[in-house]
Amino acid sequence: MPASNENIIVAEDLTISYDLHRERKKLIALQNISLDIKKGEFVVLVGPSGCGKTSFINAISGLIPKSGGSVKVRGEEVTAPGPDRAMVFQDYALLPWRTVESNIRLPYELQNLGLSEEEKQDRVKKSLELVDLTGFEKSFPYELSGGMKQRVGIARALATNPDILLADEPFAAIDAMTREAMQAEMERIVMETGQTCVFITHSIDEAILLGDRVVVISYRPGKIKEIVDVDFPRPRMNNSEVKTSKKYAVLRDHIWNLVKDEAMQTTRGE
Amino acid sequence: MSKVADQITYETDDPNRIQDVGWTFREIWRRTRGFVVTSVNLIIFFILWEIVTTYGNINSLFLPKASAMFQELWVGMTTRAPEGAVFSGSILDHFLHSFKNLMTGLGIACAIGIPGGLLMGGNKYVESILSPYVWALASLPRIALVPLFILFLGFTTTMQVTIIVLSAVFPIIINAWAGVKTTEKSLLAAAKVFGANRTQLYYKVVLPYTLPFIISGIQQGIGRGLIGVVIAELFGGSNGLGYLIQRSADTFNTAMTFAVLLLLIVMSLSLINFTRWLEAKVAPWRNVNHL
Repeated sequence: MPASNENIIVAEDLTISYDLHRERKKLIALQNISLDIKKGEFVVLVGPSGCGKTSFINAISGLIPKSGGSVKVRGEEVTAPGPDRAMVFQDYALLPWRTVESNIRLPYELQNLGLSEEEKQDRVKKSLELVDLTGFEKSFPYELSGGMKQRVGIARALATNPDILLADEPFAAIDAMTREAMQAEMERIVMETGQTCVFITHSIDEAILLGDRVVVISYRPGKIKEIVDVDFPRPRMNNSEVKTSKKYAVLRDHIWNLVKDEAMQTTRGE
Repeated sequence: MSKVADQITYETDDPNRIQDVGWTFREIWRRTRGFVVTSVNLIIFFILWEIVTTYGNINSLFLPKASAMFQELWVGMTTRAPEGAVFSGSILDHFLHSFKNLMTGLGIACAIGIPGGLLMGGNKYVESILSPYVWALASLPRIALVPLFILFLGFTTTMQVTIIVLSAVFPIIINAWAGVKTTEKSLLAAAKVFGANRTQLYYKVVLPYTLPFIISGIQQGIGRGLIGVVIAELFGGSNGLGYLIQRSADTFNTAMTFAVLLLLIVMSLSLINFTRWLEAKVAPWRNVNHL
């Protein structure tokens, strides 16, 4: 679904800092970030480790407090998590004592979404179909492979039928082959559901293949360095023309040049 | 599914991938191997013991025959002291006394330790107030308290149970406390994102996460509690397995002493294996490698 012109997430001068109690100092993770995200848009954040990407989506989800500026979702200031925003975690964050189905039903137990039992069952079934895990309802997470665990993580995020899907390096711990398959699934799911997606990755390829826009964030303090538009037609994943095109190579090189200096800085510990 | 989905193919599971192999000799052996090896091992051990004590020049005062020990154990476990006897020579009587005390002590230790540890993990004020006392008492050898409790409570069952509680409660507190503290941050974050309030965080995440920690705390508590049982009975009282060890050694009935030691080993291993089974049952995701 193409992005509409309606802004769903608006960040203005967003600043996030953490107290370093031991050193009696403040670490500014993100400084004056302003970013508008349109409904149905797929925005990918790239940047070196520790640049504050996670802080940004945590602020959208309402998990951490802001130190300055504002984040608005559909015009309303974010103060706490809500059912309109769901999150996919890097380490899956599935409750190990619950079955796949029970994990996906967790959001229903924690908040009243006003759904009848039938609607809940229907949604769980649809979420499982969407991530291609039908038949694994009664399995436990420890019985599944990494890729399958993350599919459960995605299904759980989809169960609340959120408008916004936040993904914090969801495929970082997944092997390269499964990762490509998962990227294809992610693209397909977001295209099918029409959700807005804010996605963090360290992989430039992943960023170009998934994102409508790639936001490059600089290292300490995190600021927006450049926003790169990516306009390949979708679906891109199983379209070999995209990856072999000159445009792809140019984009990839451009983003790498933006990230390179920052990445070097982190390795020198500056 | 929309048209988009049809354009993309992704892997599906072949239902024939898992095939039934049935019962093979190898499979039966794989399942019973542990039990068979241990049984044969123990039988050889006791036969060697019997041979050495029969044909070797060993004073039965120091090492009785294995058969004498088993006989003592059998007789002791199948007879009871007559009504109104001053002293019972029946192992069963003393075993029941000790076992009842151990269970009472463990019960009280759980009743104090589990909520105590959970509170300490969940509330930083409770934690900072209680932790110095917990660490102080946990690091003190509990045997050092026995004379004091004999002074307070005399040679009574209450004294014995108190020693057991003091021995068993600290591993339970510390494990429950550690369980709460080490609850994975990402699980808490996930629950919050999906709408959990503070109470729900505890009931849906922290408690289930801590449950296996509590069970291993109880497991350690059983070991410590058993030490408490024997110490309390060795020092004071005229009841229990600890007393019987003392008494039989004093009267040069070494076979009885060994019989009681064997019984203690069997009791301790049974209880610990029960908690391991329980742990595997309630927390199969925690792939703990036991020694």
